Amino acid sequence: MSAQRTAQEEDPVATLAEGLSIWVGKLSDLVKKVVDTGPIRNVVNWARMYSLWPVNITTACCSAEFGAASGARHDLERFGVLPIGSLRQSDLIVIEGTITKKMAKRLRMIYDQMALPRYVIAMGDCAMSGGLFHDSYSIVNGAHEFVPVDVYVPGCPPRPEALEQAIIMLQEKIRRSKVYEQG
Amino acid sequence: MSAPSKPVPLTTVESTETSDSGAQTLTLSVGPQHSGSGHMRLIVEVDGDIIVNVAPDPGYVHRGIEKIIELRNIIKSIPVIERPSIIDASNLNHAWVRSIEEIQGVEVPLRGQYLRTLLNEMNRIMSHLYWLSIYGVFLGHTTMFMWPLGDRELFIDLAEKLTGARITYSYLVPGGVRRDLPPGFAEEAVKRTEYFEKRLKEYDRIFFNNPLFTSRAKGIGVLSKEKAIELGCTGPTLRGSGVDADLRKDEPYAAYPELSFEVSTRPDGDSFSRAMVHMDEMRESCKIIRQIVKKIPTGPIRRKAPIVLPRGVAYGRVESARGECSFYLIGEGGDKPYRARYITGSYRNMAAIPAVLIGNRLADMPTAWWSIDYWPVEADR
Repeated sequence: MSAQRTAQEEDPVATLAEGLSIWVGKLSDLVKKVVDTGPIRNVVNWARMYSLWPVNITTACCSAEFGAASGARHDLERFGVLPIGSLRQSDLIVIEGTITKKMAKRLRMIYDQMALPRYVIAMGDCAMSGGLFHDSYSIVNGAHEFVPVDVYVPGCPPRPEALEQAIIMLQEKIRRSKVYEQG
Repeated sequence: MSAPSKPVPLTTVESTETSDSGAQTLTLSVGPQHSGSGHMRLIVEVDGDIIVNVAPDPGYVHRGIEKIIELRNIIKSIPVIERPSIIDASNLNHAWVRSIEEIQGVEVPLRGQYLRTLLNEMNRIMSHLYWLSIYGVFLGHTTMFMWPLGDRELFIDLAEKLTGARITYSYLVPGGVRRDLPPGFAEEAVKRTEYFEKRLKEYDRIFFNNPLFTSRAKGIGVLSKEKAIELGCTGPTLRGSGVDADLRKDEPYAAYPELSFEVSTRPDGDSFSRAMVHMDEMRESCKIIRQIVKKIPTGPIRRKAPIVLPRGVAYGRVESARGECSFYLIGEGGDKPYRARYITGSYRNMAAIPAVLIGNRLADMPTAWWSIDYWPVEADR
């Protein structure tokens, strides 16, 4: 055992790798510092704020108001919100209403597959706390039980205006946060 | 731009037996995270790109509403009952109050009946418009997504004036309705329906006469008359297959016996005819709304109904936007029902999903599937 360890300590490649990793760590810390204090942070956050693409996942009936918000009159695309089919390119889940136990597993799977940074809006009373169906045998009482939630939108269902406000609040949150601590 | 190639006839692939006897098939899972599925999953088996088998996997929105109804009193149940089909809330509400009134033996005043019918027809238009907008986006026609949703707001505003809520009204209560017509409603309703009928002509021009739609919908997802009856389909799906069945005519309720309207049927049974049935129904609903605001009698809007549900059994059914919605209600003398069986149009039309999809190409799936107007929340309850 000890002989092996000495052999490894004396191995020039291992020493070099160890040294490099320390330097890479230091360098990445420096990069984070530079990004988060300088104008780069503003640029990155600006890009993230105005390209919030939600996943095409609907959990329950609030999808009707999400549809109304995406359609004419309350055009969500004004805020850069465009529903998209691919998980890998999306960065927002709008949980629209009641989450059943069957759907909760799928939602968590979808959340895990999304690339960082990712945000979650819990829309409707059911996604907040179970709402009207709080005493049902087949639902999860709130999205926070299985995914971290950024913005809650109360209402049953919330009006499209409320969803627009939630989007603006999320954008504000992104604008204030540090680049490497999002999602 | 080349014309889209003609799909193979439906009869070439009959069932899964072809795949069992040696042909290689692939099983795909469409949904619940998919742009063309909604809150459900379809397990699709394809041979090449021909669908050979489809198994719908519902239950992603099953919230146990039948059980919740047993635990709440009959008035508090109304918002719960509306939620399954939030875009068609008042029709489901109507089935519930009809079954309660049947047990209680309460007569609704005529003005109340007219107001119920008014909201039901407005809901039918809103629901069909929502369906149409999703149909548009499924087929990649973004204008058809934006227009119907924008025109839907016309009726949402109107309903908000009448009931105070955008889409969940809880307007119908046992014995009548909650609110009377606001001043100036009739003129506004006439103006908006007339404008909307003009818009429907534009829809025809941009979408229903457009080869982009017709070439993808005509002859796709054929459901024959016999098959539709055998599977127990209802609503526009059944009428799209040429069956003249509409509860508003067959078993007239509320103010329907006093109104003149036509039931639209199309004989072909393909996606196109189902879509056209929806369009015809929107036109008829506009006419009904105008008749109602003209003919509405004066008088009370609500008669006092007891809060308890006497011992007895009732079956209340109405024609909702997606077909027959019915309640089988058993009362035991308390303020809660002993049991309520809740069946909606989408639930009954679920049986038609494999029937219209099998034999089509995978690329035709959105056209055929969404033409059934299947709203998963309503089916799962």
